[in-house]
Amino acid sequence: MIQITDLRHRLLDIPALTIGEGCTAVIGPNGSGKTTLLELCAGMEAPEAGSIAIGGRRPSEVRIGWVGEFPDRTMLFSRTFDEIASSLRFRHRPCHEVEACVRRTAETLGIAHLLSAPVRTLSGGEKTLVALAAALADRPEVLVLDEVDSHLDVATCRRVHRTLQDCGVACILWCTQDMDAAATADRVLFLENGAVRHCGAPDEVFALLQETCFYPPIWRVCR
Amino acid sequence: MNLQLEDVSIRRGAFALRCSGTFGAGVHLVSGPVGSGKSTLALLLAGLLTPDSGTVRRSGISSALLSLQFPEHHVTCSTVAEEVRSWGLAPERILAGAGLADRAEDDPLRLSRGELKRLNLACIIARDPDLLLLDEPFSALDCAGKRLACRAIEARKEGITVIFTHERTVLPRIGTLWEMERGALTPRGDVPDAIRRWRHAPPYLEYALEQGARPANIALEDVREALCRIRG
Repeated sequence: MIQITDLRHRLLDIPALTIGEGCTAVIGPNGSGKTTLLELCAGMEAPEAGSIAIGGRRPSEVRIGWVGEFPDRTMLFSRTFDEIASSLRFRHRPCHEVEACVRRTAETLGIAHLLSAPVRTLSGGEKTLVALAAALADRPEVLVLDEVDSHLDVATCRRVHRTLQDCGVACILWCTQDMDAAATADRVLFLENGAVRHCGAPDEVFALLQETCFYPPIWRVCR
Repeated sequence: MNLQLEDVSIRRGAFALRCSGTFGAGVHLVSGPVGSGKSTLALLLAGLLTPDSGTVRRSGISSALLSLQFPEHHVTCSTVAEEVRSWGLAPERILAGAGLADRAEDDPLRLSRGELKRLNLACIIARDPDLLLLDEPFSALDCAGKRLACRAIEARKEGITVIFTHERTVLPRIGTLWEMERGALTPRGDVPDAIRRWRHAPPYLEYALEQGARPANIALEDVREALCRIRG
């Protein structure tokens, strides 16, 4: 559980917010503070004021899998295998365990054929999948994903969603511009100008957004 | 004005791109899964890659611009206003249109990725080249930004526009549809006939087709209208 109290950081102003377990989709216009909130929850930065606690600990004390909005910029190694293995190797896991875990994660995400490829030769979507595999490999307690789906096609997105459902991570915080995908989350958090405008089950939140383009297109045609 | 590909092939390790076809004036959509070769084809059409075999022939095209998938790869200046000037454009009008009027003096890399994409699209569309190539123009944009980009693309009166995307929620009205799969480019033809041949159509369109709707184009508005017609 993520507990936010009296948070002020850049444009973010969140007096109190509790994010329970499960999958939370963070949505809102460009520049509304989604990335800032995700970076704080991932422990990439400390808040200027207020606090964020994950199960009573600071985010920097929690094992967090994070995929940023620029996967190109966060790659450390030149070979796909080494990139996915990085967090396991940093924790000195035995070689056979690293090997097995990297292969299993890559297979789940459908990128096993890319393991020996140099990262620079991958497409934008493939780099995102590699970054996601690297975040998942070390069995994080919390997964923070910043628009990982913006470079993925429909079929790949579905595979990623299945992987996330089965990965056993208790808390997933994930921001997206795909409202059809957000509608499948356990909870939707709508940010605007740094403030939480709505938070609740997808049905409740999207009912309030019916007059806007944030209403899921698939609901527009199905309902 | 057109761009012709004749038996073009490019090989990069295990990946091979093979394509033939003619891109005439109008809006083309090249759809395809991750790693299918969309960005490679965009680089090829932009003249930034030389094919291993085959020919790329341009006729009547005097200017071409490519918007890259990751907008940060376009950044060359330290402020947003300078960035606009580097395209040979006046910042005031462009930034107002992109909703970034109050960010003129900011470092472009301090913008969110969506804002940076908006800036890049505003500049590149304002330059109005004969050949406009847009690699994932909608990624990271919010729905309002995507709609704005669609309107700007639809408003282009002349020239060839090619959109490479796997976008599944907000799409512009197009003229011609192509699909990329494992490096092979397949023409699906002109809309509306092309729509029922689209193998990887976005979910809202897939749903409408299953219901028996026959939309005139691929935008959500067209699909809703077609559904209304059959539902009465």
